[in-house]
This record gives sequence, C-alpha cells and structure tokens, in this order.
Amino acid sequence: MQVRPEKRERGKRRRAKNDQEAKGRERDEEEQTKIKSAKTTKTRKKEKSRKTEEEEGEGESEERNTKRKKKHGSAKKEEKEEDGGKRTVKEKAQDVKKKKHKKVVETSSEQETSEESSEDNEEEDNEEKEVRPESLSPEELEKLKEAVDERKKLIQGLRGKPWPMKKKLVTLRESQEFVEKYEGALGKGKGRKLYAYKVMMTKKWMKFQRDFENFKTACIPWEMKIKEIESHFGSSVASYFIFLRWMYGINMILFGLTFGLVMVPEALMGRPYGSIPRKTVPRAEEASAMDFAVLWDWGGYAQYSVLFYGYYNSQRAIGWLKFRMPLSYFLVGVGTVAYSYMVVIRTMARNANESGVGDDNSFNFSWKMFTSWDYLIGNPETADNKFASITTSFKEAILEEQESRKDDNIHLTRFLRVLANFLVLCCLAGSGYLIYFVVRRSQKFALDGLENHTWWERNEVNMVMSLLGMFCPMLFDVISTLENYHPRVALQWQLGRIFALFLGNLYTFIIALMDEINLKREEEKIIKFNITMWEASLYNSTVSENSTAPPVTIHPADVPRGPCWETMVGQEFVRLIISDTMTTYITLLIGDFLRAVLVRFLNYCWCWDLEAGFPSYSEFDVSGNVLGLIFNQGMIWMGAFYAPCLPALNVLRLHVSMYLQCWAVMCCNVPQERVFKASGSNNFYMAMLLVILFLSTLPAIYTIVTIPPSFDCGPFSGKKRMFDVIHETLESDFPAWFSKVFSYASNPGLVLPFILLMVLAIYYLQSTSKSYKEANVELKKKLQTQNEENKKKNKRAALKAQMDLEEARKAASQAAEQQNNNASLQEEETDGEENHGSNQRLHHSKNGRNPPPAAGEQECHPPATRAPVPRTYHHGNHGAPGYLPGFSRQSEPRMYRVPSLQRH
Amino acid sequence: IPEMVSPAIALAFLPLLLTLIIRYRYYFVLFYRAILVRIWKDCVTGLTREERAYQYILTHATPGDPDSILDAFDVWCSKVEFISNIGPKKGKILDRLLMEQSPLTVLELGTHCGYSTVRIARALPLGARLYSVEMDQRNAAIAEKIIRLAGFDDDMVELIVNPSDEVIPRLRSDYGLERLDFVFMDHWKKSYCPDLQMLEGSGLLGKGSMIVADNVLFPGAPKFLRHIRKSGLYEWKIHRATLEYSKGIRDGMAELVYQGIK
Repeated sequence: MQVRPEKRERGKRRRAKNDQEAKGRERDEEEQTKIKSAKTTKTRKKEKSRKTEEEEGEGESEERNTKRKKKHGSAKKEEKEEDGGKRTVKEKAQDVKKKKHKKVVETSSEQETSEESSEDNEEEDNEEKEVRPESLSPEELEKLKEAVDERKKLIQGLRGKPWPMKKKLVTLRESQEFVEKYEGALGKGKGRKLYAYKVMMTKKWMKFQRDFENFKTACIPWEMKIKEIESHFGSSVASYFIFLRWMYGINMILFGLTFGLVMVPEALMGRPYGSIPRKTVPRAEEASAMDFAVLWDWGGYAQYSVLFYGYYNSQRAIGWLKFRMPLSYFLVGVGTVAYSYMVVIRTMARNANESGVGDDNSFNFSWKMFTSWDYLIGNPETADNKFASITTSFKEAILEEQESRKDDNIHLTRFLRVLANFLVLCCLAGSGYLIYFVVRRSQKFALDGLENHTWWERNEVNMVMSLLGMFCPMLFDVISTLENYHPRVALQWQLGRIFALFLGNLYTFIIALMDEINLKREEEKIIKFNITMWEASLYNSTVSENSTAPPVTIHPADVPRGPCWETMVGQEFVRLIISDTMTTYITLLIGDFLRAVLVRFLNYCWCWDLEAGFPSYSEFDVSGNVLGLIFNQGMIWMGAFYAPCLPALNVLRLHVSMYLQCWAVMCCNVPQERVFKASGSNNFYMAMLLVILFLSTLPAIYTIVTIPPSFDCGPFSGKKRMFDVIHETLESDFPAWFSKVFSYASNPGLVLPFILLMVLAIYYLQSTSKSYKEANVELKKKLQTQNEENKKKNKRAALKAQMDLEEARKAASQAAEQQNNNASLQEEETDGEENHGSNQRLHHSKNGRNPPPAAGEQECHPPATRAPVPRTYHHGNHGAPGYLPGFSRQSEPRMYRVPSLQRH
Repeated sequence: IPEMVSPAIALAFLPLLLTLIIRYRYYFVLFYRAILVRIWKDCVTGLTREERAYQYILTHATPGDPDSILDAFDVWCSKVEFISNIGPKKGKILDRLLMEQSPLTVLELGTHCGYSTVRIARALPLGARLYSVEMDQRNAAIAEKIIRLAGFDDDMVELIVNPSDEVIPRLRSDYGLERLDFVFMDHWKKSYCPDLQMLEGSGLLGKGSMIVADNVLFPGAPKFLRHIRKSGLYEWKIHRATLEYSKGIRDGMAELVYQGIK
C-alpha cells in the first residue's frame, strides 16, 4: 500500500523530472506507448482542462505544455518497462484500466494480469525513486495541502486586500499557478483521482451555477435594457422603467384572468354573433358599422363584441362545460381588484422593510459623504453630472446649515413657498373649471345629437383632459423652482400636485359619467315601456291574423333595445385610455424626438449653441411619467368591469411604451442635471398607487352596488343588482346547508364582531410594530453612546500609552547611564527579544509556502488584532539594541489593545 | 363660419404658454434689451450702440481711471442698453487668472468697444504688452478712444484692426512675437475653433500658455469645446457663471492651459 502516496505524487514529480529532461526524449515512441500515455493522463488532462477553462490563452498554452510533459514522462516510463518486462499491448491496456479504476477490479479480474500489474507498479516505484529519491512524507504532503489551501484563501480574499492593483494581479496569477500545479497532486487517503473528480465537479457546479444565474437574468424581460438605461441616466430613471415592468407583470395577470375566464369562454361557448339582439348591430347602425371612424370610436362591430359588457348573455351556464358565465364575470371583476390590492400592499410592505431603517436627518453630512454616489452609473457624462450634483448638494447643505443658524432669509423662502402653492391652487382650480365647462358643453352636444358637431367638439373632453394633464405639470415644475426645495422633496411636491390635478380631472370625468348614466337610465325606462307595448302589439297582430301560423321571427337587428349604460361607460374608458396613450406618444415624438432632431441638426447652422444652451435636449420626466402610469392603471381598474378588453389594451400599451420610451430615452434625452438616487421614492410611488387603486375602485363598486343593471344587455340582465348572481349561485348550485351557512355567516350579528376582531388585530399589530421601532431607536442610541464612550476610552488609553512611553524613555535614559553595571541582565533580555522577533517572522511567513507556526508558538505572541503602526514601531525598536528591552514587549500589547477595544 | 378648434381646447394650451414664458423669461428679456431696444435707439439717435456707450462713458467716468471707466460701462450695460462685454462677474475670474499668471505677452481677440481690453490691461504687470484684435473699423475707433481714455498708451496696448484669421498667421512675422502667455477670446463664436487651431499651428503657444474663452455655453461654441476635449493638448476647465448683465442665462468661460504635445 506504499504505492499510493507515491502514485499521488507521481504527476508532480514527473513534471519536475521532465523539467530537467531534454525534448528529444521520445526516441522510439511506439503505438502502444501512445495509447498508454494517452490513457494514463486522460483523467488528469480532463481535470486540468476544467481548471484552466476559465483562464484565457495563457492558461491554455500552459496546459498544452503540461500535457506534453506528461507525455514525455509516460513515454520514458514505458521505455523502462519494456526493457524490464516486454509486455503485449493487451496486457498494458488492462493495466491502465486497473489504474483508472483504482484497483477496485483487481480481485475480480484474472490472476495473471493482477500480478503483472503489481509488478508494473513496483517497477514504477523503482523508477520514480530513481528520479526523485526524496519522496514526500505525509507531513510534507500535509504542508503542501495547507499551502494550497492558503493560496486558495488568498485568491478568495484578494479583492478586499488594500494592495495596489498590480500587486493584486501578480499575486493572483502566482497563486492560481501554484494551486493549479499542486492541487491535482494532492489527495486524501482515498486517492487522488477521487479528489480530482471532486474538484472537477465543484468547479463544474460553480460554473453551472454562474451560467444559471446568467440565464435567470436573461429571462427577466428587458433587464439588459433597463440596466443600460440605469448606467446612462442613474437609478431614478431606471426606477421608472422597473416600475413600468412591474406594472406590465400585474397587467399580464389581469389580462390572463379576464381573457381566459371571461372573453374566451363567451366567444367560444356562448351564443354566436347575430343570434340575439344584444349580440347584433342594430339595423340603423348596420350601414356604418364597419367604417373606420366608427370603429375608431369603438362603436359598430367593436361595440357588439366580447370587448364590451353589453355583448355578454345572462344565460346561467354556457357550453358543454356548463361554464357559469355571469358568476365568472362577477368574480373576475372582484378578483382583479382584490389581486391588485394584495400585490400593491405586499410590495409596499416589502419596500418598507428595506427602507425603514435609516433616518436621513441625523447624520446629514455623513450620509452625503458616504452614500451619495450612484454606483450603477456607467456613462461619463452622467458621472460628471452626478459629481457636480454631489458638489452642489454639499454646497447647498452647508448653506442650509448656515441659514438654519442665521435664519434671516427664511421669511422670503416661506413667502415664496406659499406663493407657489397659491399659484398651483389657482392652476388646479382653473383646470378643474375648464373640465367642468367642457363636460357641461359635451352634455349639451349630446342632447343636440353628436352628428351635428365636428370631431374636435365631440372629442373635446378627452382632448382637454389630456392636454391639461400634459401641460399643467410643466407649469407646476416651473412654479416649483420658486420654492427652492431639495430635489427629492421637490419631486414629492411635484408628484403630489400632479396627483391632485389628475385626480381632479378623473373625478370630474366620473361625475360627468354619472350624470350620463342617469340620463341613460331615464331613457331606458321609456324604452322598456315602449318595448312591452311593441311586443304586445306584435303578439296581438300575430294572434289576430292567424293563431295556427308559426310565430313571426323577427331578425334580432330589428328588435328595439335599451341604451346599455354599462357599455357606454366601458366605451368612455376605452376612448380615454386610447386618447391618453396617443397624447403620450405624440408628446414623446414631438417633445423629445423632434426637438432632439432639430437641436442636433440645426446646430450646424445656428447662431448659438442649441445643444448646450436654450432649447437643449429634454430630460426624462420621471415624476410625470410615473404618475401617468399610475393614473392609467387607475382608469384600467375603474373601467375593466365594463370593458373586459381594457387589460388587454393596457398590456399592449405598456409593451409599446416600454420599447418606445426605452428608445426615446436612449436616443433623445440627456441625463438629468440633478441626478439623485431613487431608493427613497419607490414606496412613495407605491403609496400613490394604493391611493389610486382605492379611489378608482370606489366609483366602480358604487356603480355595481347601487345602480341596477340594464334589462337587456350584459351578463346580469334581468337581475335587480349585479351581485345577485352570488345569491343565485348559492341557491341553485350549492347544497341547501351551504347557503344556510352562508346566510348565517353574512348575518350582521356575525359580521360585525368579525370586523371588530380584525380591527383589534390590526391595532395590536400596529402597536407591536411601533414598539419594535422604538426599541430600534433605543438600540441605535445605545450604540451611539457606546461608540462615544469607546472613543473616550481609546483616547484615555492612548494618552496613557503615551505617558508610559515618556516614562519608559526617561527610564531608558537612566538605564543608559547604568548600562555598564547590569550588562548581564541586558544580555538575557536581548535573547528574549530575538526569540520574539523570530516568532514574528514565522508568523509573517504564514502567507508563504511555509507551514504556519504551531499553536504554542503563537500563544506567546499578542493576539491577532494587529494595527500596522505598532508593529513597525516594534521593528524599529528592536533594531536598536541599547534600549531597555522589556519596554517594547510591555508597551506593545497595550498598543494592540487600543484598536481592539472598538469591537466591544 | 364654424370654429375649427373649440375655445376650451385653446384654453388648455394656456398652461403651456405660461410655462414657456416663465421658463424662458430671461431670454425674452435679453431679446428685448439686446435687439428691440437697440433698433429703437438706433432709429431715434442715429448713432450706433457703441457710440452711445462712448458718450455715456465720456460724461460719467473719470479719464485716466480704468476702474471708473469699467464701472460706468457696467452701469450702462445693465441699466441702459445691453452690450455683450465680459461683465463684472466673469471679469473677476479673468482678473484672478491674470493675477496668477502675470503674463508678459497677451493677445486679445475681439476688442469690441474696449471693455475687456481695459480690464486686462489693468491687471497686467509692468512691461507687459497686450495685442488686441478687432475686425470692425468703427468699433475699433471707439475702442481706441476708450483705451486711451483709460490711460493706456501704445506701448502697453496695441490695437490691430483686422480679422483674427488674418492676424494670427502674421503675428510672428509682423509683430515679432515669439510666445503668447495669455490669449483671451471674445470675438465671433464661430471662429473660436479655427483660431485656436491656427494658434496651435503657429507655434506661439508654449507650455503653460493660458487661453481663456468667454461665452462658450451661451451663445456657445460647441466645436471649440469638442476640439479642446478631443485634442488632449490642454488642461481645461469651464468656469460656470451667468451671462453678463443677466441673471438666469447660464454661461461659461473656458480656461485652457496649453500642455503641448506629450
């Protein structure tokens, strides 16, 4: 069994041996030799190649070298073997096989070959001993292994070392070479190959993991695009795109729900187009139903399709699946809203966890100093801007600090802020009034009949809303320069103002819609009455003419029908979304692209610098875009119940937006002048989204609960309220006990205590989280005070050390006078000093190939907490022999302890 | 006649209009002061703007005192009419650079009516010489008067009435110059870049020669900036400031130190 350690070292020795050998060694290289050498080195080659895979050409060439060397070695060995034994090819092959299997098969194979193989091994041993008589003992092996481990550790921790890059590179290369050279040669008791295999597998595994990570990143949609934008524009712009992507994901799910559970079943299993009145274009509209203008207005065939509420039939179960269409419609409507709430709140909670720790106010300058750089910036121009903005922020912060002490200009600032808010309020009121005016006018137009008016007048409401939503934020932005806030604060104000504007516009719009709904319901009453009359007359006429004749079939297009207010609401929302999208895109094209083109190409023949000066390129407006997105989503949530196509439209819009805006940002925008990090504002966006979600579900729920559905269109026709569908299902589809249980559960006597319990639970949770927060603050304070105390302690310790030093010097000078008297003592002490020095040297060499000092040796050395300064001091001291020797050893631990104190 | 666009839609553009007016108010003010007022006064008085400025200075400044002449200029430019001089704020930066550098040979491109010439000459050390280049004959006449009024003689300030692209190649032969220590550019923004290249080619710039160019951001000299960025011949920075006699328009003054070809 002595063979094995030998074998383990074989490769290494062989290489060493081959270094001395000349190239012309392969004199009589036969076929057999080649086979043999190939096989013996096969496994190792594999391992090598794995290892060197990650390195570039240099490594490859090295690998080739080692391969050749191995070849030489085996060739030579072969030679010798042939001299001694003269075997056949077959035997050799078997022999090689044996080695590969680590002699596991030895017992099972034929006796002869095993004998021969052992002979072979013996020969090898002899040969190897010849080459390198000083074979490695187990201890040496152990040392080697430790050295390799040391190198590995070094490679891992190299990044954090405070060395110059050159040194790092050199060290890295050396260590990698070393590890590569000796790692393969090492192995534990079970054999080198297993070890090599393990190493290989870990490397493969690591590589696989890395590839998998890359794959995962590649799977995230638009990740690379966003990263690129982030590197050019900083994280605040990127945060918008991340938000957009997040929104896209949510909309995908909403779309999946409505499409899969509402639209597709109705289209596939419901009654086909033209079968009943609600699924047919009325006779009066048939002529123009396919016109583009009509379709663009979502009338005609678009109106009488699965895209809108009115198309759905109130049949309880459709198709061979017995799909409960009305129930599904209702539940999907509720489910989309519930899902949105869940997602938004969950995201908010997660964000709160991330950002809830730091308080920005207490260490203003430290925060600025250490955290203001945005490490994701990769564009020199943006980096310049960021640099400038940090400098200005410092200046501003210093000024602020001074001003807060001086406090003389504050009145002007306050006045300006009040003035700005007043102006903004005026603007809001003006825009509100304008929309109100337009809505009133449009009602007048509607009463007149829309055909008498121009396209401009018909689309006035949407146009005005879009234009105001586009231009007012600009005005707010201009006004907000009066206020002189920090950009982050300014952004929040700006967001708040735009929020108010959009909300006002949206609610004005909804109020107008409500009015229209009421109008339609009046109309519906009349029509309902008319229809009963009409049916009665029809019945009478058929009866009077001929009672035996089959009932007259009336084409569904001719049947009179009510104005379906739900479809009208859905259409309004779809139109709003479309006009909003168009405005966004047109603004993008004109405001950004056209401007950029003009600035770029007119600059050649203009009398001032257009790029750096007056029009310049536009900046990306994060706040406006985010709010646009949020309100767009709000409209989707509001209108999705009445127009199931809305999520699909929104997905389309977001998808196009993603590409268009990515392109526009990269092609026609410049980085913001005041780049700031967006980490703080993410939750602000989320909070806004939550508010909008609430505000947009409010009117939707109101209409669902209070207004009875139309009598002749939609899945809930014929019911008193839309949610009656639940009752109906409970009564007819579930066993009686279930509906009983449900009715008990919905009893106010049970619901109220439950709500009370929930409120209590919320209160409890909130108070606990508050107490946790307080505890956190306390701990922080504690930490701070402790830090201060430590600082004081350190100062004291340092002072003491200094005093000791002084004393020691004095003593030393005194001792110098008495030097002659106690020479023997000095000798003794210098011995100790030397010992100490050697210890340290040993300790130093730990990084090298030498083994680390034994534990006993280390103990006499001060603990590993080391500051570089004291050590050099020590060295300098121990170079001078004449001093009182005890001094250095005494003072040293004390000096060491100084930095270590900080840890406690 | 039916209305093309309803008044409500037109009203919706009001915020845009307001935004544009507020955001670019300084430009509108500048347009008014530099162009409208000038045309108006030209028609009324029959004099050029520079002549009016000279008249004001004659009546309001102390002869022989450059400071008082500069002050009078500043007052006239900020209160009465607008002339694009370097102005007091950027002038201070220029003064500082001159103090630090204390150049012996100075070239000024674009005298206009002598404000910057007086400003530079004031800050120069004893024995230094300033060559000032002006293309326009009438402006040069007024500048000459103002320079003499400030008390600088021919030995100190030499006015060259010629376009800069003709003067620069002949500086060495006609004026016996060996090296320029300081160059101040404030003429046509378009000629910044070719003139700089011409200076480089003439070999008058030595290591450490300083070139200061005004108005590189507004009206702006993009080619010039691109050139200094790319050429690698200079250590440069831009002093950011506002346009002279105006608060809201940002402008910059480029400071270049010639490093030579490394």
